[in-house]
Amino acid sequence: MTAAALFQSALASLPEIVVITGACILLILGQFLRKGQTYFLVWASVAVVLIAALATLMLAGEVRPAYTGMFIADRFAVFFKLVFYIATILTFLLSRKYAEIEGIGSSEYYVLLLFALSGMMIMASATDLLSIYVGLELMVLCTYVLTGFLRRERRSNEAALKYVILGAVSTGIFLYGVSLVYGLTGTTQLDGMAAAVTVDPRDPGLLLAVVFIVAGLVFKVGAVPFHMWVPDVYEGAPTTISAFMSVGPKAAAFAVILRVFLNPLVATSNVWIIVAVIAVVTMALGSFVALVQDNFKRLLAYSSIAHAGFALFGVVAGGADGIASVMIYLLIYSLMNLGIFGIVILMRNGDFSGEVIEDYAGLAKSHPGLALLMLLYLFSLAGIPPTAGFFAKFYVLVALVERGFVMLAVIAVLLSAVAAYFYIRIVMVIYMREPERTFDPALTPLVRATLAFTAAGTIGIGLFPAWFLRLAQHSVFGG
Amino acid sequence: MGLPLLSLIIFTPVAGAAVLMFLRGDDTVRWTALAVTILDLALCIAMLAGFDTTTHAMQFTEKLPWVPALGINYALGIDGISALFVFLTALLGSICVLASWVAIDRKVKAFMVSLLSMQALMLGVFCALDLFLFYVFWEAMLIPMYLIIGVWGGDGRVYAAFKFFLYTLAGSVLFLVGVIVLYFNGGETFDILALTAQDLPFRVQSWLFFAFLIAFAVKVPMVPVHTWLPDAHVQAPTAGSIILAGVLLKMGAYGFLRFSLPMLPEASVYYSTLMLSLSALAIVYGGLLALAQDDLKKLVAYSSISHMGFVTMGIFALNLRGLQGGILQMFNHGVTTGALFLFVGLIYERTHTRSIADYGGLMKAAPVYTAFLALFTLSSMALPGTNSFVGELLVLSGGFAANLAVGAAAVLGALLGAAYLLGMYGKVALGPASVGVRFKIRDVNARELAATLPLAVFVLWAGLYPKPFLDIMGASVEHLLVQVHAKGSGQ
Repeated sequence: MTAAALFQSALASLPEIVVITGACILLILGQFLRKGQTYFLVWASVAVVLIAALATLMLAGEVRPAYTGMFIADRFAVFFKLVFYIATILTFLLSRKYAEIEGIGSSEYYVLLLFALSGMMIMASATDLLSIYVGLELMVLCTYVLTGFLRRERRSNEAALKYVILGAVSTGIFLYGVSLVYGLTGTTQLDGMAAAVTVDPRDPGLLLAVVFIVAGLVFKVGAVPFHMWVPDVYEGAPTTISAFMSVGPKAAAFAVILRVFLNPLVATSNVWIIVAVIAVVTMALGSFVALVQDNFKRLLAYSSIAHAGFALFGVVAGGADGIASVMIYLLIYSLMNLGIFGIVILMRNGDFSGEVIEDYAGLAKSHPGLALLMLLYLFSLAGIPPTAGFFAKFYVLVALVERGFVMLAVIAVLLSAVAAYFYIRIVMVIYMREPERTFDPALTPLVRATLAFTAAGTIGIGLFPAWFLRLAQHSVFGG
Repeated sequence: MGLPLLSLIIFTPVAGAAVLMFLRGDDTVRWTALAVTILDLALCIAMLAGFDTTTHAMQFTEKLPWVPALGINYALGIDGISALFVFLTALLGSICVLASWVAIDRKVKAFMVSLLSMQALMLGVFCALDLFLFYVFWEAMLIPMYLIIGVWGGDGRVYAAFKFFLYTLAGSVLFLVGVIVLYFNGGETFDILALTAQDLPFRVQSWLFFAFLIAFAVKVPMVPVHTWLPDAHVQAPTAGSIILAGVLLKMGAYGFLRFSLPMLPEASVYYSTLMLSLSALAIVYGGLLALAQDDLKKLVAYSSISHMGFVTMGIFALNLRGLQGGILQMFNHGVTTGALFLFVGLIYERTHTRSIADYGGLMKAAPVYTAFLALFTLSSMALPGTNSFVGELLVLSGGFAANLAVGAAAVLGALLGAAYLLGMYGKVALGPASVGVRFKIRDVNARELAATLPLAVFVLWAGLYPKPFLDIMGASVEHLLVQVHAKGSGQ
C-alpha cells in the first residue's frame, strides 16, 4: 500500500480513528479522575462523538473506498453513523444521573460505549465479511461488559453471561458462514462474492453459507428464532444500556444486513422468502408476547423484537425504496425508543425502579408533562399519525406494495394493530388509573434535553417527513 | 380570495388548544374553549356564505407540497357534500363545550384540549383532498377520542376505550394498505381528485372496495362490526357521545361517498346489493336491539346503528333521491342524535341514573326539558315536519327504486323506530311520577338551552324547508352519480 493510498484510507476512516483515539485517551485519563468528576467524562465523551460527527459530515461529499476494498465511506455509512452518534450522545446524557443512582462510578462505562460506537461505525462502513466481523466483535464485546455493569445485581450478571454465551455461538455461526464463502468463492469481499456467484447462482454450498451469515446477523437484531436473549438481557442490563442496545447495535446490524442482503449474491437467490418468514414470525412473536408483560423493560424488549420484524419487511421489499425505508425506520425508531427509555431511566430514583408498568399508574396526575411525552412516544411506537412512527411504517408499506407484496403488507399492518394494544395499555395505566405513590423522577437538565430532543424528532419527522425521506433516499448505496 | 379559509377553520381549534395549555382556572378554560369553538363556527358560516352551490368543483382549495418524493400534498378543498359536515362539526363543537360545562369537573383543561384537537382533526378529515393527509387526520382522531372516553368516561370506560381504539385501528390499517395499493395503481399520486379520474381494473376495484369497506363499516358502524359503538357511547361523557354520534359515525359514510363510489364505481355498483342488504340488516337489527334496552344511552346508541343503516342504504341505492336522502340523513342524525345524547346527559347529571325504569312523569318536573325531548324524539322517528322525515322519505323512495325487498325491510325498521322511541318517551316523560326521581329535577338552565336551541332550529328548518340543505349538496351529488354510472355501468 503506497503512502498516498494509506493516507486516503486513513482519511476515509477518520471518524473511526477519532473515536478510538478519544476512547483510549479517556481510558487513561479516567484513571486519574477522582470520584464525582463524572461530568468531565460525560462532556469529554460527547465532545469526542461530536468531533467524529464533524469529520463524518466533512467527508460526506464523495464515496471513498479504503483499505483495498474492506471499507467504504459512502453516504449510506454516513447516514447510519449519524444515527449511531445520536444514539450514543443521548445515552451519555441519560447516563449521568442514572450512573450516580445505580452507583456506577467507573470511567470505563463511557469508554466502553465509545468503543462500541466505533465498532458500529466500522460495521456501517464495512464492505468485506472480515471487516464486518471486526466491527461486530468490537461492538458486542463492549456491550457484553456493559450489560453486566451492575456488578452487585444478580440479574445483571446473569444477563451478561447469557448474552456472552449466546453471542459467542452466533458469532461462531457467522464466522463459519464466512469461511464457507471464502472456501467456495475465494473472496470475502461483498463485491467479489457477487462476481463469483453470477457463474452459478444456485450453488447449494453458497446458499448454506448465506443461511449461516443470516443466522449470525439475525441474532444481533434480535429476530426470531434468535431472539431469546433480548428480553433477559434488556431486563438485566442497566436501563441506559438497554436503551443503547435497542437502538445503536440494532441499527448497525441492519446496516450490515442491508449491505449483505441486497447484494447480488442474495438478490439472485430466493433468500427473501426466508427473510419474509423471519419478518412475519418475528413481528408476530414480539407483538403477541409483549401483550402479557408486566415488566416495562421486558415489554420494550418484545416491542423492539416486533419493530425489528417490521424493519425486516423493508429488507424484504429491497430496492432503493426498501433500503431507504429501513434506514428512515431505524432513525425514527431510535428517537422514539430512546425517548421512552429515557422516561424509564428517569423513573429510577429512590425506591422507584420504573421497571414495572404498575409504577406508572396515574403519572398523568402528578407529572402531566412527562405523561404527555410518554403518550407521544407510545403512540409513535404504535404507529399512529401524526407521529414519526406512523411515517416509518407507512414508508415500509409503500416499499412492500411497490414490490407487489400486498399480502405481506396486510400481515404487517394487522400485527401492528396487535402491537398497538400494549402501547395503549400503558397509556391507559398512565392516564386512567389513580396514582398509588408520589412520583419523584430524577429529572436533570441533561435528561430534559434528551427528552426534548427525542420528542422534537418524534413530532418533527412525523409532520415534516420530506427532508428526512430525501436524506434517506439520497443515502441509499449504489444509487 | 387569498385567505386560506379551510386551514384557518382547521387550525383555529389547534391554536385554541395551544392557548388553553397556558391558562389557569377551570372557568377561564371553559370560556376560552367556548370562544374558540364559536369563532370556528363563525368561520364556517363565512365559508358557507361564500360557497357556490351551482358547481360540483372543489372550492376554497389549497395545495402545498408536503412529501414531494411520494407525491403527497397538503391539499384541502370542499364540495357540497363536505361543506355540510364541516359546518355540522363546527356546530357540534360549541355544543360539546357547553355540554361539558359542569359534567366535566376534573382535568378540565386536558379535556378541552382533547375536545379542540378532536374538532380540528375531524374538520381536517372533511377538508382533505389528499389521501395521505386524509389518513393522518382520520387516524390521529383515535388519540383524543381514546382519551375522552378513557379518562372522562363512566365506570367501564377503560374497556370501552380499548374496544373503540382497537376496532377502529384494525379497520383503518387495512384501509392504509388499500390506500397504498391505490397509490400504485392510480399513477403514484395521493391526490383524491386525480385518483377519482382513474379507471382501475375491476379486480383491483373489488379488492380495494373490501379493504375500504372494513374501515368504513367499522366507523359507520355497520352490522356485524358495530359492537364497539354501544360500549363507547354508554361510557363516553356526554360530549364524547355527541362527537361520536354527530361526526365520527359520519366519517365512514363520508368515506363511501368520497372514495368508494367515485374511485371504485364498478365495484360499488356490483356490490350495491350486498351493501343494501347489510344496511337493511342494520336498520332492523339495530331497531330490535334498541327496543330491548332499558338504558337510555344504550337505546340511543342502538338507534344510531339503525339510523346509520338508512344512511348507507341511501348511498348504495345509487340514485339521486337515495344519495340526497342519505347525505341529508347523515346531517340529520348528527343534529338529532347529538341532541338526544345531550338530553340523556342533562338528565343523567341530575339523577345519576340512565335506567328508563327509574324515570316517569318528568313532564311535570321539567316541562321545557320534556318539550324539547319530544321534539327530538319525534325528529328521530321521522315525523313529518322534522328534518328526518325529509331524509328518510328520500332514502326510502331511493331504496324502493333500487331494491323492493330492502325498501320494505327499511319500512319495518322505521316502524320499530316509532315503537322504541315512543315507548321511551312515554316512560320517561309521561305517566305517574316515579319513586326514584320525586320531582326534584331542575329544568334546563340558560346554558343548556343555549346548547339545545341551535339543534332545535335545525330540526325544524330542515324539516319545514329542506331546500337550502339539498341545494348545497345538489351539484356535487349529481356529479357523483354521473361519475358512478358513467364508469360503473360496465359491470
